[in-house]
Amino acid sequence: MKSLLRFFSHIPNLLAMAIIVLYVLVAIAAPRLAPPQDPENPAPFKVATVDTATSRHIPLPPQSGLPLGTTPGRLDVFYTLIWGTRSALRFGLTVALATACVGIAIGAVSAYIGGPVNRFTLRITDAFLTFPVLAGAAMFRLVLYPVDQQASITPLQGLLTSLGMDPVMLTLILFSWMPYVRIVNAEIAKLKQVAYVQAARSIGAGHLRLILRHLLPNAISSAIVLVGRDIGSMVILQAAFTFIGVGEGSPWGYLLAVGRDWIIGPSASLVQYWWVYLPVTLALIFFGIGWNLLADGLNSALNPRKPHQRLW
Amino acid sequence: MSPMLKFIIRRLLAVPITLLVITVVLYGIVMLAPIEARVSLYEPRGGRSRNPEALRQYIIREYGLNDPYPVQYARWAFRLLQGDWGWSPLLRADVLDALVVRTPATVELTLYSTLLLVPLGLASGVVAGWRTGRSVDYGFRLIAFIGTSIPPFVLGLMLLGIFYVGLHWFPPGRIDISDSFVVTSPAFNHVTGLLTIDGLLNGRLDISLNAFRHLVLPAITLSLAHWATLGRVTRTAIIEERTKEYITAARGRGLPKQAVIWRHALRNAMIPGLNSTALSAASLIMGVFVVEIVFGFPGISELATLSWAYTPDAAAAMGFAIYSVLLVLPLMFILDIIQAIVDPRIREGIAEQ
Repeated sequence: MKSLLRFFSHIPNLLAMAIIVLYVLVAIAAPRLAPPQDPENPAPFKVATVDTATSRHIPLPPQSGLPLGTTPGRLDVFYTLIWGTRSALRFGLTVALATACVGIAIGAVSAYIGGPVNRFTLRITDAFLTFPVLAGAAMFRLVLYPVDQQASITPLQGLLTSLGMDPVMLTLILFSWMPYVRIVNAEIAKLKQVAYVQAARSIGAGHLRLILRHLLPNAISSAIVLVGRDIGSMVILQAAFTFIGVGEGSPWGYLLAVGRDWIIGPSASLVQYWWVYLPVTLALIFFGIGWNLLADGLNSALNPRKPHQRLW
Repeated sequence: MSPMLKFIIRRLLAVPITLLVITVVLYGIVMLAPIEARVSLYEPRGGRSRNPEALRQYIIREYGLNDPYPVQYARWAFRLLQGDWGWSPLLRADVLDALVVRTPATVELTLYSTLLLVPLGLASGVVAGWRTGRSVDYGFRLIAFIGTSIPPFVLGLMLLGIFYVGLHWFPPGRIDISDSFVVTSPAFNHVTGLLTIDGLLNGRLDISLNAFRHLVLPAITLSLAHWATLGRVTRTAIIEERTKEYITAARGRGLPKQAVIWRHALRNAMIPGLNSTALSAASLIMGVFVVEIVFGFPGISELATLSWAYTPDAAAAMGFAIYSVLLVLPLMFILDIIQAIVDPRIREGIAEQ
């Protein structure tokens, strides 16, 4: 309770919570803020049905009914911004929690066993660290590749689709668990020698109980900080992948990709067509800042003895 | 054997293990793909077949695509070692050739970004850490915060919007079109493949300068986030070093402050920073790919976008994935070596690393 009070007495932490709560509220209220055409099955994009003489390729400025105008191709910026929040939160939480679970489990079990097994695990972890995540996306695209036009899918594809997995998600999960292993491993290797663990073992505590009850709770704080940071950075990565065309699924990234020619193309102007990039960019940046600040606050709250390493 | 040599050999021995792990995982992913997609890993060289179904059956039989995983993996890995990385129907080229041709551009971008970010990151971390609480420190922390908050691809877009569309200072791409004719002409000697250096070697200063102009924005975009991280780690380290006794002793003996900072404190403070940069070498290379695409820089990332856009081209996707690890490894190796040179514990073989 006291530590909670202390946590909320830091202004950056309050700011972080405010930003995150705002995003969550927007995500919850999405159907009210931006009513979808099909409430049962809301699409992340809406094509504005304004009838103007201008070409479809010229972005429409903000006007009544279109608070933030459209991108080229008449995509409603405000609508995508709102529904993109939902998708961003879902993606960030799924990927960060899944990677954390994988990493913590591997790290804890292998550190608990120790010896050559642990050395082997750490060697594999180091090998994974050399892999640039981006390179995995196209590989997983193959896994989800539709067999033929009649859309017969393999059981694996069925499973992955029903879990809501897309190739970028799978890549990020498979290739970013390594920091968790390293963190948890180092902590548990230290804790194993501490007297209370030895005591628990001597009175006959089982392996699972030792790991879950005595080791993990004390080894997990740095991993929790990393989860906070990852939620933001995974969403930003997804947007970057979508923008450069190695992935899909980030509505925010897609908006920027569609608007690209009006940001850096021949007739682009950062001032004239600000609505094409500015709202989405700010949404992305503040999403990252919110989770980063939160992770920072958690870091000083959970690891008080670690050197003071505030972001700001 | 000197400890340093031992260190280098141990690092080099880790390379085959790393490659083994990565290829086993990648081929494992290919094995999960439906066989229709998997066939594209063994596409025959040359044109399209008039009868794709028959070709597919032929490939499945010829390359034993229904064999158990270890057999298939071993067969495929053997081909890989012989330099046969498969044929990409998309690029209409050998995957390995396509990658090698595009490598210099990627290497050039990585090289200049690293040369920019490592010294700057270390220096700014030291300056900020030595003067905590002063305006320099606040300035550094503010810029570092902004640097890590802006996603690189967004930063790249903004820089292009301002400095290319608005001011016409720095264009995208690798070289101006007029100069690209010079570069592709047979008279131009490609010694290193890096245009900035080859321009000088060919006595064409203008080519070098032009290539530099094209490198400015991508290098800044790429460096900013990693610079900020490196600077922060160094700052924390120098704050810790500052209070140690050897610093007080050196100052007490009358050594000038600047000498103490840059000759003694920095040496110890740069180790954690270099270590974290080496560990994030993969994310640096990934940043290179993203920046290449944003700036239209013709590096190897082209294979990533193409193999995503036109599936199935397993050979291109797989080739790109393996090759990008081959780019990360040397970068990591160099940063590790620098760290080892600086760190007396590794240099003298005291630490059990």
